[in-house]
Amino acid sequence: MAKVLTRGILYLFLIIVAATCLIPFYSMIITSTHTNSDIARKLLLLPGDQFVDNYNRLKDTVNIWRGFGNTLFITVISTLINVYFAALAGYGFSKYDFKYRGVLFLVVLGTMMIPGQLGIIGFFKLVNSLNMLNTYWPLILPSIHNAFGIFLMRQFADSSVPTEIIESGRMDGYGELQIFNRIVLPIMAPALATLGIFAFIGKWNDFLTPMIVLFDNNLQTLPVMIASLKSQFTSDFGAQYVGIVISVVPVLVFFSFMSKRIIDGVAAGAVKG
Amino acid sequence: MGSKINKSYYGYFFIAPFFIGFAVFGLAPILYTLYLSFMKWDGFNAPVYVGFANYTRLLHDSFFYQSIWNTLLIWVLSNTPQLILALLLALILNEKFIRGKHFFRAVYFFPQIITPVTLGVIFSLMFDWQTGSINKILMYLGIVHDPVNWFNSPWWSRLIASAVICWQYFGFNMIVFIAGLQSISNEVYEAASIDGATKKQTALHITLPLLRPVFLFVFITSVIGGLQLFDAPLMLGDGPGNTSRTMVMYLYETAFKNFDYSYGAAVAYGIFIVVMFFTAITARASKLKD
Amino acid sequence: MKTTTKKWLTTATSVVLAAGLLAGCGTSNNNNTTNTGDTNAGGNNATTNTGTNNGGTQALSGKLVIWTFFDQVKDMAEQFHAKNPGVTVDVKMFPGDQYQTKLLTALQSGKDVPDIFDLERGYIGKFIDSQFLTDLSAKGGDDLVKDYIPYVQALGRSTDGKLKAISDHSSPGGFWYQKDIAKKYLGTDDPDKISDMVSSWDKIIELGKKVAADSGGKEHLIQNAGDLFDIEAYNTQPWVKDGKLTIDPKWQTVYENQLKIRANNVDAKLPFMSAGWGNALNDGSVVLTSMPAWAGFMIDNKDNKANGKFGVAKTPEGFYVGGTYRGIYSKSPNQDLAYEFIKYIAGTEWQQHNLEKTGNMPGNGAVYEANLDTYKSPFFGEQNILKPYYESVKAMPAIQPDKYGEDILSKWRKAAGDGIANNSSYDDVVAAFKKEVKNTFPEVSVD
Repeated sequence: MAKVLTRGILYLFLIIVAATCLIPFYSMIITSTHTNSDIARKLLLLPGDQFVDNYNRLKDTVNIWRGFGNTLFITVISTLINVYFAALAGYGFSKYDFKYRGVLFLVVLGTMMIPGQLGIIGFFKLVNSLNMLNTYWPLILPSIHNAFGIFLMRQFADSSVPTEIIESGRMDGYGELQIFNRIVLPIMAPALATLGIFAFIGKWNDFLTPMIVLFDNNLQTLPVMIASLKSQFTSDFGAQYVGIVISVVPVLVFFSFMSKRIIDGVAAGAVKG
Repeated sequence: MGSKINKSYYGYFFIAPFFIGFAVFGLAPILYTLYLSFMKWDGFNAPVYVGFANYTRLLHDSFFYQSIWNTLLIWVLSNTPQLILALLLALILNEKFIRGKHFFRAVYFFPQIITPVTLGVIFSLMFDWQTGSINKILMYLGIVHDPVNWFNSPWWSRLIASAVICWQYFGFNMIVFIAGLQSISNEVYEAASIDGATKKQTALHITLPLLRPVFLFVFITSVIGGLQLFDAPLMLGDGPGNTSRTMVMYLYETAFKNFDYSYGAAVAYGIFIVVMFFTAITARASKLKD
Repeated sequence: MKTTTKKWLTTATSVVLAAGLLAGCGTSNNNNTTNTGDTNAGGNNATTNTGTNNGGTQALSGKLVIWTFFDQVKDMAEQFHAKNPGVTVDVKMFPGDQYQTKLLTALQSGKDVPDIFDLERGYIGKFIDSQFLTDLSAKGGDDLVKDYIPYVQALGRSTDGKLKAISDHSSPGGFWYQKDIAKKYLGTDDPDKISDMVSSWDKIIELGKKVAADSGGKEHLIQNAGDLFDIEAYNTQPWVKDGKLTIDPKWQTVYENQLKIRANNVDAKLPFMSAGWGNALNDGSVVLTSMPAWAGFMIDNKDNKANGKFGVAKTPEGFYVGGTYRGIYSKSPNQDLAYEFIKYIAGTEWQQHNLEKTGNMPGNGAVYEANLDTYKSPFFGEQNILKPYYESVKAMPAIQPDKYGEDILSKWRKAAGDGIANNSSYDDVVAAFKKEVKNTFPEVSVD
């Protein structure tokens, strides 16, 4: 009996926490379907019929789907670059015994300690002098240096990429880069997926950099658009809520299909780290 | 093996992109920021060298100190409940009898993948004192009579900012804890139960000590991340008397709202020193326990 | 993308150049005087200058890029294009907070810079003395604003008195009220009588007490004690004089009134433009809403249900909120074409159109004069609303913007606003305020 009770309490606890996680999203979806005056006055628990109206007002000012597409584009390209170069360097550190390897690897790890915002003002000036303001280059190119990714990839290469397979690649007359691209990369696929998830989430949520380097609304990313909703629709709460719904729901759908993979990947990455 | 030595210089090519990328997009901006911190530059006129003036100003800047304090407060208020909750949930979900483990894990993890800015906006709307659902519910339930103006109160502002962060990251840390728990081999537990240890004893004397490296990972990431709080708090605002303005928000406001780029650069270095200081303390403290 | 931009810029320049030369052939004799002062224009623009500066009778052509944060500029561009089919006007709108940063960044980098850009009242002071703005006085701009409302033209002038930007509107404010609500609580819906009833803050406080008492605390006379910041903002001395922070003693009286308003339940504590504020305006739970003329979109007018229901009365002192100013980029290759555009929006034709279409009040006094007895706005039925507005904006002191004014004002709002909420003493507010100012502007001396 006591056992049943304890289990009941545990389940109740789990359910309450789960509800706390989901209620804000539920409330947001419901609210987006009501008029401004209802939003201001009433407690809304059930869906209304104003979603399309709210959406139309939003659409007139903010091209939210464009932002979605832009963010997706930037994120996918950056993730690919991030993962590839991290794997390249991680493999390099793992399998080549060059001079100063230890020191250089420490340098790589050291760069992780630098807070991201330290160079932001200089970054802005640099991008300006490189003629890259208002382009995607400053959002994509920095993905080449990802110290955490290198660390992760080196761990994986140390444990799971056999040196013999590289030797046999050399026997077959492959160049070093060919060996990496054709033989090593497929072996590293699980680690690539893990790092890819981290990189994807990180880039998808990137806010400060696009906000300061992009001017053109047609190039702008979703987080920046969401952030500007508040100042653009001061009292049009309906439109603001619709904007948020549009930014969250696709992620929700994607996550519900991919959650197992994502969580396993994160767990694997965290334990390695 | 012989050919490995011959080819080892290839390693430089493989790691070169990282160093080039870092030099251009990481190091150069940092150095340029350092240069700017010794100038006076408002964006309208050419920069002028002013020596340590910006740093002297920073040392006397009570708003900067306040933002450090705010950041630390929000960090403590968000991380304490977050880590406890994450650990508790990890322990529960690690129990064999619990069903729907995957569902719960997924639901708890979900806030993590939502953009912090969006979460900030959602919370600021929920806690809006006129239109927010929180006040509506509290009034409906008769807990309060008049709507509470949350963001007019220093402590509520900080608590809400902390709540957003706690709510966003507890799922992630829970996953990390679960992964840590699962890496403890069953043999350890079996040995413990053969020795007649109770569940509580097992948890206190076996599970927690073995989770130490995982704790360390979670702790250091949350120190580094927590001291750079920006996106979500920015959406919630500065709070009355700037009581929920974090260090990075202060940097952003100085540089990109007041266009005082040069002083902003000095603020950036101030933040860097603060973050290094607390990271060092954390690393030190975790070593001392050994 | 970069190369194409450059390409069309070159094309556009040559088109304008050609147009200028052609036009110059016909009218070269009457322009030279206006152009001699233009030091900003580069070598090749000097040729252009000889042509396009006159009456606008000749066909203009070319392309202009305008940056703005304001939706209605699109209509402005359309109207201008309709009049000058040879000119394409490309309006780039950047709504929201980040416009200012974007603009400054673009101006610094000098790449992809617009020919004309909008500056909001809130930050025009920071840009007005910069090298980015063309001196319009040198192009004869003073003539464009000779009939202007004094405060409107002054806000477009730099410290040395040169005209750098022009607005096409004024933004007078008044007390808006629903007539039936006013009748119920104030006993009349006549704008003049109501204006008399609220001609001083003391009267407002007394009247507010009565409204609160009559309604059992449900109805409030005004929206927010904070509205006094807007109303007094430009009826007080500038914050910085000779590099020194000065607090107009008037602010103490204002603050004390604000405390009384809050303590006596005169205000509904609803911040300007918040959702609750909008509701109160529409459902009448606040009798008098002080708001600028451009904020009519806040009124819910589905199926014209609000038509004729509103009145507007004068506030104890005249005030304005906001304003959009338009300047020409100093290195724009299309200086003269851009000036034609500025000339168009400063003129009566556009401002008349804008008044009729959007209800935005003109910046040009001549447009006020012409419509004083005839202009009717749907919300206000038969009331001649231009009259109270014109009287109050004409009386506004003409003050040139400076780089501190708006930022320091917002710090005052913050400090005094916190003070009102916590019922702090005036000295505490001043201390908190001084601390903020000192911190943000270390170069301003604060005693």
